[in-house]
Amino acid sequence: MAISNEQMKDMYVKMRRIRDFESAAAKLFAEGKIPGFVHLYLGEEAIAPAVCECLRDDDYITSTHRGHGHIIAKGGDLNLMMAELFGRETGYCKGKGGSMHIADRDKGILGANGIVGAGHCIACGAGLSINIRGTDQVCVCFFGDGSTNQGTFHESLNMASIWKLPIIFVCENNHYGISMSQDRHQAIKDVADRGAAYNIPGIAVDGNDPMAVYEAAEEAVARARAGKGPTLLECKTYRQHGHFEGDPAIYKPKEEQAAWMEKDPMPRFAGFLVENGVMTAEEVEAVDKQVAKEIEDAIAFADAQPIPGVETAVVDVYSDIVEEVRDR
Amino acid sequence: MASIGIIANPASGKDIRRLVSYATTIDNNEKVNICKRIVLAAQGLGVDETVFMPDTFMMGYAVLDALESDGVLKSKLTLLDFDIEATLDDTIRAARMMEERGVGCLVVLGGDGTSRAACKGITETPLMSVSTGTNNVYPAMMEGTVAGMAAAAAALMGESARECCIHDKKISVYVNGVLRDIALIDAVVSDDFYAGAKAIWDPERIRRIVVTRCHPATIGFSAVAGAYEIVEDTDDFGLAVTLGHTGRGVLAPIAAGVLTPVHVESAQRVELGGDYTFTAETRCMIALDGEREVRVQPGDSVTMRINRDGPWRVLPRKILSRAAGLGMYNIQV
Repeated sequence: MAISNEQMKDMYVKMRRIRDFESAAAKLFAEGKIPGFVHLYLGEEAIAPAVCECLRDDDYITSTHRGHGHIIAKGGDLNLMMAELFGRETGYCKGKGGSMHIADRDKGILGANGIVGAGHCIACGAGLSINIRGTDQVCVCFFGDGSTNQGTFHESLNMASIWKLPIIFVCENNHYGISMSQDRHQAIKDVADRGAAYNIPGIAVDGNDPMAVYEAAEEAVARARAGKGPTLLECKTYRQHGHFEGDPAIYKPKEEQAAWMEKDPMPRFAGFLVENGVMTAEEVEAVDKQVAKEIEDAIAFADAQPIPGVETAVVDVYSDIVEEVRDR
Repeated sequence: MASIGIIANPASGKDIRRLVSYATTIDNNEKVNICKRIVLAAQGLGVDETVFMPDTFMMGYAVLDALESDGVLKSKLTLLDFDIEATLDDTIRAARMMEERGVGCLVVLGGDGTSRAACKGITETPLMSVSTGTNNVYPAMMEGTVAGMAAAAAALMGESARECCIHDKKISVYVNGVLRDIALIDAVVSDDFYAGAKAIWDPERIRRIVVTRCHPATIGFSAVAGAYEIVEDTDDFGLAVTLGHTGRGVLAPIAAGVLTPVHVESAQRVELGGDYTFTAETRCMIALDGEREVRVQPGDSVTMRINRDGPWRVLPRKILSRAAGLGMYNIQV
């Protein structure tokens, strides 16, 4: 695997953006500035930036209810994201979607999704589209361990396998489906084991180490681009907050939380970069300051945007084709 | 009272080599099945207790639950009591605790890396290594029933079990004079500077291979040395080879289903007690039994020393033959 210093720096910048964006979202939600629900990616920052480092702009991703990290990693606009969280007119979904529906077609972001397990099917659609059009794009499907008990997961892996769809199924195994620990919701420990049932390579890596994730993702993406079919890549990680903001997460043992905090990907990767001369400590600090400013600016931007008018409530809710059918 | 220990690695058999090669997948439920067969076979031959390492998949409990439900568990099944860390340290700790408890044989399910960790926790206990990993040189592909019988024989034979074991060689890796780690089969120097997905598979990045034994009938980077010269586990020497773009070309099975041409620029035997030493010119990683573990900086002095101070590995066919000779399979009428 050849990874450049620039790529490693880029991964760190994106990880820092996600950490700061999510930390700000937590604070703003607590202050009542963000309506609706938010599910944060805190603790899982090593995964999406490392996977997306292997992608091109014209590649696709599907996301989840915990999607901010995926969208930032694929190049989503922080201002538009924050405006959407604030429910403002200039947000990604004109303020109507909130945290769980952000999409950006120009960036190949096929949408966050409030339905657990929906992204698998959408990824199959994208993969089939790629095959029909005969391009060498790929689609990454991000999802959590909880969704791998859904029928959509199994149906999609089966379909992706028999049609050799160019999909990388990335399971962000944070060990909890809402408040249910993986030990209690699955008869397996490694979601990667489920790949074998569908003749898909299933591998597990340390999801708190972006270098491990990158190394595996790079191989999986190359395989998909070459028409060799899907991969199931399980990244072991941990959700540092509750399922949603406001969830006190009393179901998580304190010892478990403390052990995973020791493996926090942010200080770990920063330390790795400095130790190996990829960045100096001063450069890391400069990135941190630059990103902090970006987030401040995004909040200021969002706060200054207008709230959508009542008259727009049903605009964009139905597509034209539905209107045409209604008129018949 | 005769007892055996079982360490089953829940993480073995799922690394990146399933993606870059055609490596076997063995899921954890199958490992539980293997453990059931080991326990049943061992108790069938007269073992009174099987001690399990606790793990993230709770394999010991799964075995206990299944065998009790089926009404076939006649011996005692014990789980060691400690807080697991879900790292190799669990294996080292469990192996140490089992030796302290005096188990008569330690059965390890995993790959080369799992056996390597287990051997760090024991000095005297006979070790039987069953393959559920990837590039397995050290552990053997073995039916669980046979493994259970062989482990039982070792436990029941006590001191004399040593006659049916081989005292394995081991590589001790020193960086700037400080012991950093050990390997049972191979220590491989790669151009990487990070552990990443841990496994090594890219021959372009490999510079040096030091082995305790090697044969083309194995899989992994020791097979490169084995394609050049065969070193048996009984030989009182190891081999060190350097790779490059010149020298003798050999075709070697560096991964499952992957035969790759490589050039051996030089090779030298390393006698027992002897050192293989080099100074790192660039930053690199040393992979121990297939996994990147030791980071080396430019200018570091690296010494690899081979000695016959590894674990006592049970030879299943030999010990089961001896058991037959001792009448262990005879039924009392």
